[in-house]
Amino acid sequence: MRLQNAALGAAGFAAFLALGEAVPRLGLVKEEYFPPTSRIARALADELSDGTFWTALGDTLTGWALGLAIAASAGIVIGVIVSVVPYLREATASTIEFLRPIPSVALIPLAVLLYGSELRSVLLLVVYASFWQVLIQTLYGVQDVDPVADETARSYGLGAWARIRYVLWPTALPYVMTGVRLAAAVALILAITGELVIGAPGLGARIAVAQNSQAVPEMYALIVVTGVLGLLINVGARTVERRALAWHQSVRGEVAV
Amino acid sequence: MRRQLAALAAGALLVTASACGSSDDSGAPDPGSSSGGTTTVKLGLIPIVDVAPVYLGQKKGFYSKRGLRLDISTAAGGAAIVPGVASGQFQFGFSNVTSLLIAQSSGVPVQAVSNGIASTGVQGKDFAAIAVKKGSSIKSAKDLEGKKVAINTLKNINESAVRESVRKAGGDPDKVTFVELAFDQMPAALDGGQVDAACAVEPALATIKSQGGQVVASPLVDVAKDTTVALYFTSTRYRQQNADVVKKFQEATAESLAYADAHPDEARAIITTYTKIPASVLAQVTLPKWPAEPNKASIEALAKLGENDGFFKKTPDVDALLP
Repeated sequence: MRLQNAALGAAGFAAFLALGEAVPRLGLVKEEYFPPTSRIARALADELSDGTFWTALGDTLTGWALGLAIAASAGIVIGVIVSVVPYLREATASTIEFLRPIPSVALIPLAVLLYGSELRSVLLLVVYASFWQVLIQTLYGVQDVDPVADETARSYGLGAWARIRYVLWPTALPYVMTGVRLAAAVALILAITGELVIGAPGLGARIAVAQNSQAVPEMYALIVVTGVLGLLINVGARTVERRALAWHQSVRGEVAV
Repeated sequence: MRRQLAALAAGALLVTASACGSSDDSGAPDPGSSSGGTTTVKLGLIPIVDVAPVYLGQKKGFYSKRGLRLDISTAAGGAAIVPGVASGQFQFGFSNVTSLLIAQSSGVPVQAVSNGIASTGVQGKDFAAIAVKKGSSIKSAKDLEGKKVAINTLKNINESAVRESVRKAGGDPDKVTFVELAFDQMPAALDGGQVDAACAVEPALATIKSQGGQVVASPLVDVAKDTTVALYFTSTRYRQQNADVVKKFQEATAESLAYADAHPDEARAIITTYTKIPASVLAQVTLPKWPAEPNKASIEALAKLGENDGFFKKTPDVDALLP
């Protein structure tokens, strides 16, 4: 089953590449503005043999990983605290709903004012965007705790920490993992957008330079790299999720009781 | 699981602490870290043809022999540079004249320190042009009336310039529809007929020309004779507190500009180090002029045009902006 899926995925991708080759070759779009796959592949090979490309890739991954780590930890900790402490949820609900829809990109002028075109301005955008994904999922996860289980734990005399550890956390973890997986993708998008717009070092800045330089195949080659990066991050996040939730019903599958 | 969680939390705290730790010194303008008589200054540039002299001067040692080390940050657009300099993230920046006039008229404390680039002053042979696609019915700037014209930023230097071209050709600039479009997208948009004309700069202009596009007018030449288009600038506060560094930067930049102007081949060669302009395109690119001194009359002309077009909150003070 899994092999078949992989084969289907590869076939779909091959068809996509062939289409990318054919459309410009047939003259449906101009080659200057949308180069055929083979031309992009050649530009990609040139990029891969260039040391500065790998530095840029490293910069992007640093921004992504740091941003995601900060956002995920903050989202989980704040999410649990807000849900556990009575009244805090009500007190913060409207603020969260107000802040959450603000697009991170709108904060670019603020980021530049605070940190110039450095890693830190990218981090600001990445953390802002991915924090909410984790926070909201954590809040939902904690809400999902079975009141009977919680009351049982109480009547057995479990303390607050023990109840978080043995009742709340196992219930919330699948939600948290979903939040982190979504946040991982959002963090990558924001890291590259930040670099693209602000000019902080990384793949995004490299795309901007290629754009300004009329180097169209190079630009698409770099865009392909960001796509591949997104794919790898998604696969990686799913693997982590499966591992962490190996015990959970959603992953383990139904077992006869 | 508990240990993992603890490690995660500790890591986050560490990261947050280190991310915030150095932020206190970023609020105030950095006086430039000096060591062994060398001052490092941060310079915010856009990775385009215009700033070649600085890269060339850096390579030739014009900055280092005055004890300056340049730490160049590239921003994708001028929009990130003015606030960056005003807030002290960069000590120096590069921006077009109208943007600086807009900043100055809205009370942002910026001050020019050196010339940036100037138009070539030759009609039809400038680095910026109003271009149309091959076979277009538009023959002069007057024909732009009722047409769609792409410019990179609305209400900025290129809108002023295009309006002036239309006016000089005897047309009414208010009848032109301006569309905001990034330079790099102009060749395709022109080709595809989304716009009727585009105010493009190099290297997009070279691409348009290579596809048979025609130049209808040179807007920056229409503004004034030898128009100063962009300037290097600093914040008023940095200039007051570090007069000697600013003076060194001015001297080194003036030398770099003069050198680049006299050695266009070396300037062209250095462009390949910080852009990805393909060699075939670069050979066709019209370089700007790099005079060492700004042309005040042209800046006054731009200020006047900007005021007519309603770009400024209050009349900008050209004397206060210039070095």
